[in-house]
Amino acid sequence: MAGREIRLDAHRITEEPYYLPLGDEIRIAEVSHRCGIPLLLKGPTGCGKTRFMQYLAWRLDRPLITVSCHDDLSTSDLVGRYLIRAGEAVWMDGPLTLAVRAGAICYLDEVVEARKDTTVVIHPLADDRRELPIEKRGELLGAPPEFMLAVSYNPGYQSVLKDLKPSTRQRFVALNFDYPDPEREAEIVEREGGIAPEMARQLVRLAGMTRSLKDSGLAEGASTRLLIQAGKLVARGIPVRRACHVAVTQALSDDPELLAAIDEMVSSLF
Amino acid sequence: MTTSALRYQPLGINALKERFFSLVAPDLPNEWEVEEAMEELTDADPALVDEILSQVPAIWPVSNSLCYNYLGQALHALSCFPAAELGGWVNETLDRYEKGGLQAAQRFMTNVEQEFVCRLRGIAGLRFDEVRGRLLPYIRGLSGRELDLAPAARACTDGDTIFLPHKISMARDGEQNFLLYKFTASFQWAFLEQGTFFPDSPLLPETGEEAAGQLALALFFDSLAQPELAADLYLQLESIRARAFLGRELPGLVRETVDLLPDPLCRQETGRVARLLIALQCCCLTGEPDGVGLPGVEDSDLRHLLQPEATAAHSLALCRRLYTRLCGQVGEYHSPEPLFFQGTMRLDLVAAARSRRRQELGERFVDALTTALLTLPPSSGGPEEKKRPEGAGAAGTEVPDVALILDGDGKGGEEAEQSAFLRVDNEQVVMDEELEHLGRQVIDEFGFLPPRFVSSAAGRAGRAMAAGDVGASVGEQPLVAPVTYDEWDHRRGGFRKSWCIMTEKEIPVTRSTFITATLARYRGQIIRLRNQFEMMRTTERFLRRQRDGDDIDLDALVESLADSRAGLPPSDRLFVRLARDERDIAALFLVDMSNSTQGWVGTAIKEALVLICEAMEKVGDRYGIYGFSGMRRLRCETFHIKHLEEPYGETVRQRIGSIAPQEYTRMAPAIRHMTARFADVDARIRLLVILSDGKPEDYDDYKGEYAIEDTRHALLEARSAGIHPFCITIDHHAHEYMAHMYGTANSIFIDDVRKLPARMPEIYRVLTS
Ligand SMILES: Nc1ncnc2c1ncn2[C@@H]1O[C@H](COP(=O)(O)OP(=O)(O)OP(=O)(O)O)[C@@H](O)[C@H]1O
Ligand SMILES: [Mg+2]
Repeated sequence: MAGREIRLDAHRITEEPYYLPLGDEIRIAEVSHRCGIPLLLKGPTGCGKTRFMQYLAWRLDRPLITVSCHDDLSTSDLVGRYLIRAGEAVWMDGPLTLAVRAGAICYLDEVVEARKDTTVVIHPLADDRRELPIEKRGELLGAPPEFMLAVSYNPGYQSVLKDLKPSTRQRFVALNFDYPDPEREAEIVEREGGIAPEMARQLVRLAGMTRSLKDSGLAEGASTRLLIQAGKLVARGIPVRRACHVAVTQALSDDPELLAAIDEMVSSLF
Repeated sequence: MTTSALRYQPLGINALKERFFSLVAPDLPNEWEVEEAMEELTDADPALVDEILSQVPAIWPVSNSLCYNYLGQALHALSCFPAAELGGWVNETLDRYEKGGLQAAQRFMTNVEQEFVCRLRGIAGLRFDEVRGRLLPYIRGLSGRELDLAPAARACTDGDTIFLPHKISMARDGEQNFLLYKFTASFQWAFLEQGTFFPDSPLLPETGEEAAGQLALALFFDSLAQPELAADLYLQLESIRARAFLGRELPGLVRETVDLLPDPLCRQETGRVARLLIALQCCCLTGEPDGVGLPGVEDSDLRHLLQPEATAAHSLALCRRLYTRLCGQVGEYHSPEPLFFQGTMRLDLVAAARSRRRQELGERFVDALTTALLTLPPSSGGPEEKKRPEGAGAAGTEVPDVALILDGDGKGGEEAEQSAFLRVDNEQVVMDEELEHLGRQVIDEFGFLPPRFVSSAAGRAGRAMAAGDVGASVGEQPLVAPVTYDEWDHRRGGFRKSWCIMTEKEIPVTRSTFITATLARYRGQIIRLRNQFEMMRTTERFLRRQRDGDDIDLDALVESLADSRAGLPPSDRLFVRLARDERDIAALFLVDMSNSTQGWVGTAIKEALVLICEAMEKVGDRYGIYGFSGMRRLRCETFHIKHLEEPYGETVRQRIGSIAPQEYTRMAPAIRHMTARFADVDARIRLLVILSDGKPEDYDDYKGEYAIEDTRHALLEARSAGIHPFCITIDHHAHEYMAHMYGTANSIFIDDVRKLPARMPEIYRVLTS
């Protein structure tokens, strides 16, 4: 039991994470939490979904347990399994069980990456039953009111094959995230990257330009995260054009013409 | 004072002489000779004079006369090339002097253009086609829309395309010339971005729907006695504003480019107005309006143009004031040479592009509305319900009563969602997003919704209905409600929304001996195929947690040990086995049923289908078969032969036997239909095999590049939906378009139809193992 406490403490967020609200998402999430409804966060990569969850966890004063989903993730990986320790069989809670017991927030990142049979274990947890069956132990774990389930996915680059099943999807309150408007995005980049406001504004302009390259064959434009990374390089003395080249241009594409075009944007802006 | 429009204080002849004497000391040249040689320079920009004089120590010792000549020519030379090239020019001059004496050197100096600049360009010039690939995504990213780039004699823009010079060769090397190209493109974009062509100004005449296709701005200029002068003034003022805008938006670009730009002051313009325009050009280059000295205009007014809040209306007001002061002062007005990046203002092109845009938008809107009317559910009183009474004849075309209701701004606000309706014969239908979007675009562009659009769509829909152009032909029941698909228009780089109406139909079954004959004919082959395909069932893969197997599954073992210690019944699934199954492939075969397949081709296709079916039964993959044909966009058809889960039995065989050539080859909607059919199929590999006999083509204008690009795009869409398309073309030889349309790795052509039945299963085998 003591071990579990320690493990949980590591998930507690003690300092207020920086999060700039973009709309009423905080209120919606808080109310959903109060009503025991799980959250579905949609949005392109690097737009602040994870950060939002950290902030929410801090605000609700709950530990945040994040699981990055992948196609090898099994039910046991989520729920738990027996292990042998010193000749004894010891039950080991998986992250989901752990979160339910502790009334924590469990955040399944990129949930579409998980196999469909794995996704199904969250079904009873995600509707009004709010319970997690642990088959191996013959236990039916009821979730305390503080527990919250949240999942995220990026509707942009996944295949149809990886769409969420309607039966999964329709258990959630869905919050749509997108890149913030230029002013607020600049504020975020300025703060997180530790750079001057003007530099942040120009970085955001760059992002805007790359985001409109979709029709020219760029899969996704520069995310807020990329801008922050470029900003950090700049703040630590890397010349801005070089920083943008490595942190933005090269990160976005391999196509020579698009690379050249993005670099031209960079050299126009800076 | 002629210099009132200049930004600098000229040196004056005495100061010049002094400088010269100090440069050639201890020689003491004849004073009046020096004075005569330096006359040209008395009014020149001191910075340029510095450049020019800096070469004197190199020339004077070689030849005094040559040096005097040089002083007379240098200013003109500097109007032809950037100051940085002056050293190179002087070196060449000295070269010529050594080889051919004073006269040769003089000839070289006077013919700057032919003797020097041409060569400079020859080395360093950059052509439009060399920069387009790099500039196009740049400018699209910059503008956030599908602007195009095209070459022209002079830079300009019509709002849809930015025209750039065929060649830029002002700078020394390719990179710098590229920068000038980029600067020019960005500058033209700035005109668009800051609304140069559409000032919101009370000075402009009211124009209504502008039937004449002229811009209000053009009408304004034309109303003045000297339209060119006014337009030039306006362009200069707007250029100053554009330059300031670029300085704010793209500081890196401006910083890098300013030094490469030629100095207009080197040009010898006579006449007050011309000098004034040049002074404005200088202001545009430097972004420094002080001392331009415009009549009746304070520096502060000009300075205001540099502010972000300045608008085109400010420029126009200023232009108007300047014009009133100047128009009396010039007899015949000649425009001075514009700066190459500002180019010309082509209001006629802007107006033409706007008309084009409006017309296209109108057409798209009418098309979308027509399609919407044709696909209305019958219950909503759509034209479907009003099938003309039997025997009413062609005159029975009935035009539905249609109205469009668009309220709100269509953006935020919950009520806005409710505010887009289509009212057909007094029944309200919610509009689809695309139509609503187009409707709002129309209102943005025209200021209102021209009633002719609605009536022409209603008319078209009525006629199409009456002519039976839509949906199933008589006597054939569509399987599912018609669906619409977008069509890719490569010229526009966008979709024509809901452009094609696709109906899925049943093949009318005819009795024939085709199947028995084919089975008999290919008996040996079929047996071999079945064996081959049986083998394919196997893919190697480790199955974990098996009851028995080749190896121990350690994870499972550990877990079961733990389980048993915990008092749970331990699992007996503790082995790993190398398994040969789990193909999990779903395949759809899409076959061409256009009339060009009449004869041998059609027979070969049918035989191939029989063979593949026989083989598929062995491998166990799920598969479906559909045919496609159709005529025009409103009647695209796919024919059901076998659904994915449907067993291969007598009926399916009969349908294959009944496949008969139909109409045209509009392949893309059929591909899109297959993609849609695949959408809810869960399989590891989803394969779409297309069998056709050549180019996509339809009765209407659907052919050539357009059709190829649309098909290609449909295949791309399929691919991005996680489907693997593969195309088999039966043709005498491979055509170039095929690789482009299908992608080289995803297609094969078969030159002899008789080989098809044998090749087809072979191809499938290779594709899936
Ligand atoms: N609204 C915001 N307030 C504060 N920071 C933000 C905000 N939006 C984005 N960020 C910043 O952007 C970075 C990337 O966001 P985050 O990691 O949350 O992206 P994500 O949406 O989870 O992406 P992915 O889908 O790739 O996991 C964060 O580290 C944070 O610095
Ligand atoms: Mg994340």
